[in-house]
Amino acid sequence: MDQLLDQARSIWEGEIDFEGQRLVDLLTYALLSLSGAIAFLVGFSTQDIYQTLYIGLGGTALTFLVVVPPWPFYNQHPLPWLQARDTGRVALGALGLEGISVEVDGQRVS
Amino acid sequence: MHNNLTRIQNVFGFFTSVAFSVAAVIAVSVVLIPQTPSASLQLRNVQVVKGRPHYYSTQREEYAHVKFDLDADLSTLFNWNTKQIFAYITASYPSSDPSTIPRSEAIIWDAVIPAANAPAHPNTYIHPSLSKSNARPKTKADRLAAQKPYPPGKEPGILKLASQKPKYQINDVSGRIAERANATLTLHWNVQPWVGALVWDSRKTYGRWQGLRGGMAGFDFPALKGTEVKKEELRTETGGERNRGSPA
Repeated sequence: MDQLLDQARSIWEGEIDFEGQRLVDLLTYALLSLSGAIAFLVGFSTQDIYQTLYIGLGGTALTFLVVVPPWPFYNQHPLPWLQARDTGRVALGALGLEGISVEVDGQRVS
Repeated sequence: MHNNLTRIQNVFGFFTSVAFSVAAVIAVSVVLIPQTPSASLQLRNVQVVKGRPHYYSTQREEYAHVKFDLDADLSTLFNWNTKQIFAYITASYPSSDPSTIPRSEAIIWDAVIPAANAPAHPNTYIHPSLSKSNARPKTKADRLAAQKPYPPGKEPGILKLASQKPKYQINDVSGRIAERANATLTLHWNVQPWVGALVWDSRKTYGRWQGLRGGMAGFDFPALKGTEVKKEELRTETGGERNRGSPA
C-alpha cells in the first residue's frame, strides 16, 4: 500500500532534478516569448488579428506540453542521497567532531 | 519548478505577461497604418412640430425631424485592430444666451458598423438598399448582400444614404427648438478596437492619420409647422435595437 501511495505521490508531484528545472526555466521564457513575437509579426503582416490569437494560444499550449509533464530528459542529473550513518565514535571522528560529548537528561549519549 | 503545480503556475504567469505585452504592441502598431476618412453630409429637410415626450405628458414640446444625405468613406479606419465603428451624426446649435448657457448637441442618427471578420451581433447596422424599387432581392447572394452594413459590392465603412430619416427626433430642454439659428450637422465616429484605446473622430491630421474632410453642414431650424405635416413624414428610422428580444 505504501509503495502504491509513493508511486501515486510521485506521479502527482512530477519532480525533476535541478538541471531539469534550469532547462524548464529557459524553455518557458524562450517558447512563450517566441510565440508572442511570431504571433504579432504574422498577424501584422496578414492584417488579421485572428492569426495572432491562434498562433499565440497554440504556442502557449505547446509550451505547456513541453514544460509541465516531468519528461525523462528533465531527470538526467539526479542527485543521490548520502548513505545513512550511525553516530558512533568512528563517525564522529570522520566528521571532525572528536571530543564532543552529547548528553541527554544527564546521561551521556555519544 | 520542482513540481507539476509550480511549473503550471509559472508558465501561466509568464503567458499572461506575454499576452499583455503583445496586446500593447498591437494597440500601438495601428499608428503606423494610414487613414484617409472623407465624407459629404448635406441637410435634406428639417421640420419642427409639436409633440409630447410620453403619452401621459401634459406639456407639449417642440420636436425637430432632420433628414439628411450622407456619402462617407470610412473604410480606411478599418485596420487589423478594428472590431467595429460607431458612426453618428449630431445636430448642434448655440443657446439663446451663449455667455451663460452652453452649446447643445443632440444625436439624430447612429450606426454600429462591425469589421468584416467580427462576429455578428443583433445590433449591426443594415445598410438601406440603393435601388429605388422596393422589390425583395431574388438570389440568395443578393439577399445576403442586402443584410450587410455597407452597400452591395463595397466594404465596411462605405455609407451612401439619400434622404435618410433620422433615428431620433430632437428637442431642446426648454421645449422650444423652432427658429433657432446657426445649427450644424456633423458626422462623428468612435473606433472600437480589439485591444487598445477608444479613438474618436478628428479634423486634425496626426502623422499618417488624416483628419476628416467634409462631413459638416450648417442650417437653421425653421418655424413651427402646423397641421399640414403628414404623420408618415415624421416616422423615424429604427436600427438594430429593434431586433432585440422583448423586454429589451
